[in-house]
Amino acid sequence: MLEKLETMRQEAENDLQSITDLQTLQKVKHDWLSKAGKVTELLKAIPTLEPEQRRPFGIGANEIKTMLTERLNALEEQLLDSAGSDLKLDLTIPGFDFTRGGLHPTRQMRDDLNQAFLSLGFEIYNGAQITTEQSAFDNLNFKPDHPARETMDTYWIAGTEQKSAKERYCLRPHLTGASVDYLKEHGAPARFVYPGMVYRNESTDPGHERAFYQYEALIVEKDFSFASGRLLIDTILERVFGKPIETRMRAGFFPFVEPGFEIDMRCQVCGGKGCGVCKYVGWIEIMPGGVPHPNVLLAAGLDPMEWSGFYINIGLDRLVMMRYGIDDVRLFHSADLRFLEQFK
Amino acid sequence: MKISLNWIKEFVDLPADLSITQLASDLTMRTVEVEGYEDLGASLDNIVVARVEVIQPHPQADRLRVAKVDCGEAELSQVVCGGSNLYEGQLVVLAKPGSFVKWHGEGEPVEIKASKLRGVDSAGMICASAEIGMEELFPAKEEAEIVDLQGYDAYPGQPISALLGRNDIIIEVDNKSITNRPDLWGQYGIARELAAIYDLPLKPLPVFQEILPSGINVEIENADRCARYAALSIEGIQNEQSPVWMRERLASLDVRPVNLMVDITNYVMLCVGEPTHAFDATHVDGGIVVRQAKQGEKLTLLNDEVLELRESDLLIADKTKALALAGVMGGKLDSVLDDTRDVILEVANFDAIGTRRTATHFGLRTESSSRFEKALDTQRVDQALGLTVALLKELMPEARLTGFTDLVLKPTAAGSVEVEKQYLEKRLGTELKVEEVKALLGRLGFDVTYKEGVFSCLVPSWRATGDVSLPADILEEIARIRGYESFAFTPPVVALGKALNQPQIQMTQHIAQLLSQRLGMQEVFTYPWVEERYLEAAGIEKESLLKLATPPSPEQAHLRPSLVPGLIEAVQLNQHHFESFKIFEQGVVFFDLHNQAQHLAFALAGEDAEKLLFEAKGALQAIPRLAMSEAFDFVQEEAPSWAEHGLWLNVKNKQGVFGGLGVLSSKAKRAAGIKRLAVVMAEINLDALHALPSRDNAFKSLPVYPLVAKDLSVILEDKVSWAQVEKLVGPMVRDIAYITEFRGGQVPEGKRSLSFRVWLGSDAGTMTAVEIDKRMVAITRRLEKELGGVVPTTK
Ligand SMILES: [Zn+2]
Repeated sequence: MLEKLETMRQEAENDLQSITDLQTLQKVKHDWLSKAGKVTELLKAIPTLEPEQRRPFGIGANEIKTMLTERLNALEEQLLDSAGSDLKLDLTIPGFDFTRGGLHPTRQMRDDLNQAFLSLGFEIYNGAQITTEQSAFDNLNFKPDHPARETMDTYWIAGTEQKSAKERYCLRPHLTGASVDYLKEHGAPARFVYPGMVYRNESTDPGHERAFYQYEALIVEKDFSFASGRLLIDTILERVFGKPIETRMRAGFFPFVEPGFEIDMRCQVCGGKGCGVCKYVGWIEIMPGGVPHPNVLLAAGLDPMEWSGFYINIGLDRLVMMRYGIDDVRLFHSADLRFLEQFK
Repeated sequence: MKISLNWIKEFVDLPADLSITQLASDLTMRTVEVEGYEDLGASLDNIVVARVEVIQPHPQADRLRVAKVDCGEAELSQVVCGGSNLYEGQLVVLAKPGSFVKWHGEGEPVEIKASKLRGVDSAGMICASAEIGMEELFPAKEEAEIVDLQGYDAYPGQPISALLGRNDIIIEVDNKSITNRPDLWGQYGIARELAAIYDLPLKPLPVFQEILPSGINVEIENADRCARYAALSIEGIQNEQSPVWMRERLASLDVRPVNLMVDITNYVMLCVGEPTHAFDATHVDGGIVVRQAKQGEKLTLLNDEVLELRESDLLIADKTKALALAGVMGGKLDSVLDDTRDVILEVANFDAIGTRRTATHFGLRTESSSRFEKALDTQRVDQALGLTVALLKELMPEARLTGFTDLVLKPTAAGSVEVEKQYLEKRLGTELKVEEVKALLGRLGFDVTYKEGVFSCLVPSWRATGDVSLPADILEEIARIRGYESFAFTPPVVALGKALNQPQIQMTQHIAQLLSQRLGMQEVFTYPWVEERYLEAAGIEKESLLKLATPPSPEQAHLRPSLVPGLIEAVQLNQHHFESFKIFEQGVVFFDLHNQAQHLAFALAGEDAEKLLFEAKGALQAIPRLAMSEAFDFVQEEAPSWAEHGLWLNVKNKQGVFGGLGVLSSKAKRAAGIKRLAVVMAEINLDALHALPSRDNAFKSLPVYPLVAKDLSVILEDKVSWAQVEKLVGPMVRDIAYITEFRGGQVPEGKRSLSFRVWLGSDAGTMTAVEIDKRMVAITRRLEKELGGVVPTTK
């Protein structure tokens, strides 16, 4: 019987040699190792043998089984390895496009800033877009007939344009009026940002729009020093430009702040040496800011001798234009997908 | 406003090593933004006086002539000239090669080069006034007129800058940032500010100290409108041309020289910021009356325009007639002409608001009104009188001062502000020395005393009408003169409170992310005012909508009550560039003055309306789970005005319908000019969709034994809906899902085949084939019995 083992071993070896592809391999595997395969047959024969032959025969049969299993596994791996390389693909063809759809670039900027301010514990506020002369001007220390009112040409609502104060309605020309409303409602201390669209009755060109996005941030705290207001400025600019940006605060006049500042940033084009972008001064005017005017705090029902704070207001459209090098602000409201799809 | 550096230097000795860049930067940081400066002398390099010696016709051009000119060099130069007023012996302005002039008076200066003009050599250009920026000094009657230096003490070769004393630097500051600083609307005020910044002495103005008999009678009806009125009678004036230096100085600050008397009034205004006005004395009948106009009273202006006045307009009148619009503009009758001999000089103080209202009403924003409307102090009248008299004595020695009347009804009081030292220190974030505060404020003209922790600050009159009345104002003065940059940043210390949770804001944010990142929609912004055409396309009634009083254009007057019209317009615009696209907008819509809402709308444009409709439904369906909102149902209750008949749905929650979706009707598309694309739109009111504070779904245990999926097709009457099938079969299975529908082929007319998949399972063990078949048969029976379905057996 042991000769039979030897014959079978030889036969197995021949079958292994005959394997050229996965198909023949599967056949050999089936012939030898399946439930009805030759190895099983050999093992089944063991009980019919003479007792003293059973053990050596068993060992021999198992050796064949192990040899076959190992060689077949090795061969299979080898064949699988080489099988892949037969496929001919043009791998320069682009991958599946998952990128359709996107958010408006101004909104993306807003969301970035919101995230930064949320991490500082600021609330996000949404005010009404239709407001009154009282809220937009009177409460903000714009004296009646003050020339400063003229710098914000306002869209008055038809039928109310001849009235005054709280009966004269408009599309909000800025966000600050509603900030006072927020303070009235929530009291102090307060920390909030207020992003939103504002509207001015202006003629448009690549640098001017009638509808634009502003971002306002306000802190009201007890005895807040104006120099601490830098926190708001730095938070915004670092988020926008991805690195700390040098800024300066210089004298500026806005009726609702005292002291009021124009805030300039180092020109990122020339690094401050002077270039056409910064009109050769090395600084670019980026936003107004300041300490809420005592009359504004009073309008919000707060004692100006107790409360102080800092306010900034930044035009998001301009920041987005700087970030991407966009040269026409009117594109933001164009709904032109050829423009918008560039920012997805 | 423009500032003459030479003029400033008459009042303050600026450090010799102070560069113009540094001065501009210091003024910008502490007071007012310098927008730019111009070195007038440098811009006239290589521009000289020349005498025209010989004129010959140009061989090629009738309009041009060839002039031989003497410009102080050994030989005559030949220049081609198109000047209409060229004559031999004329002294002209020659721009030599290498100089810069403004071509036709416009744009950036260009360099002059020796060249040929229509074939004739030309070594430079004989200039018109606009070409060298001197329109004010040499007004031209026509474009081709060149500057004629007749009457000037000039010689050939003399640099024009030397002839005119034009060696000044003109600084331009931003008007907007000094609307609250009436004191800065004059050269002297800027000099005072610079003296404060550099801590230098300020030279005084000439003082008015004439002893004169009382002059013309003056009456003021309303002291609130005119706080002070001084009238100086001057007789025997010789009203000639002003000297070159004065004409040059006025012109360099954009004021056109007229005659000596008028020029003096303008010079005084530019210097101290106080507008004054000279009346021809022969036109003033019986005395000056400052009074409010009668309704409908007429006043003829210098330019023959006739104003119909209102009671709120303030007039300068005499006993019989109106002479001038107070603080705004003179009338035709009172103008000082070259032959005027006797004048009455008005130096007065008019109130800011009244002056501004009148000027705005008549559209007459003059140099005078723009200064009065900043609110001037009555003390400035003295400065103007002093300077005027000094100039008269110097330039018009023959003139006699014959009378003076000065009515001071409401002198500007020096305001007083008390500030605690502690307040300043807390708000400035630094300790202050008493002496330092006194010194800083002293430089600005404040008179400061300190007692028991409190500074008492007496505000100078020139600041009292404008911006200083509160402790915060004093703080600002200290901080800006010391330098804002000198205060160190200290991080604010704040208490940690409860973590913020703003679910509604989070939800809108999540929806935007869902639509853009998962569903491939692009966000757009559209305007809140919508064009009528698109309102009409969307079937929206215009009558009840809010309108703008002065809209961007007449057809854009309405404020949107829905985002749909704007998106229809966006689809219309994009159809030319894309075969298919998906857009959405989150924005505010307006219902009335007190009601606005945050809406979401989207538009899907492409080929197959049916497919897009279910895509839109799917997008809305995804919101509750992915954006954490409450659930809502789809119903058919209120057809959107823009939707195709029958092809629409509403979304509805407990409060009611809050939006809808549907196929954009053919009618709407036609009205909007949308040609081939199928469009599906949806709009919901986000304010009506309530955000969940957290997710509301719960975990379901995984099945112990594997579920079996089986597909089933059933032929049903068209009127039987999927919802009915789902309702019937759902309870019999672990899960059910719609696959597709099919019409035509083997399916009879009026019917459709619905395919769906069910998942079967058992808690007792893995289901056997027999058990599965039994369940499927039960489902088939019920479909047949309850919904009249037929399940084809061939499979
Ligand atoms: Zn630069």
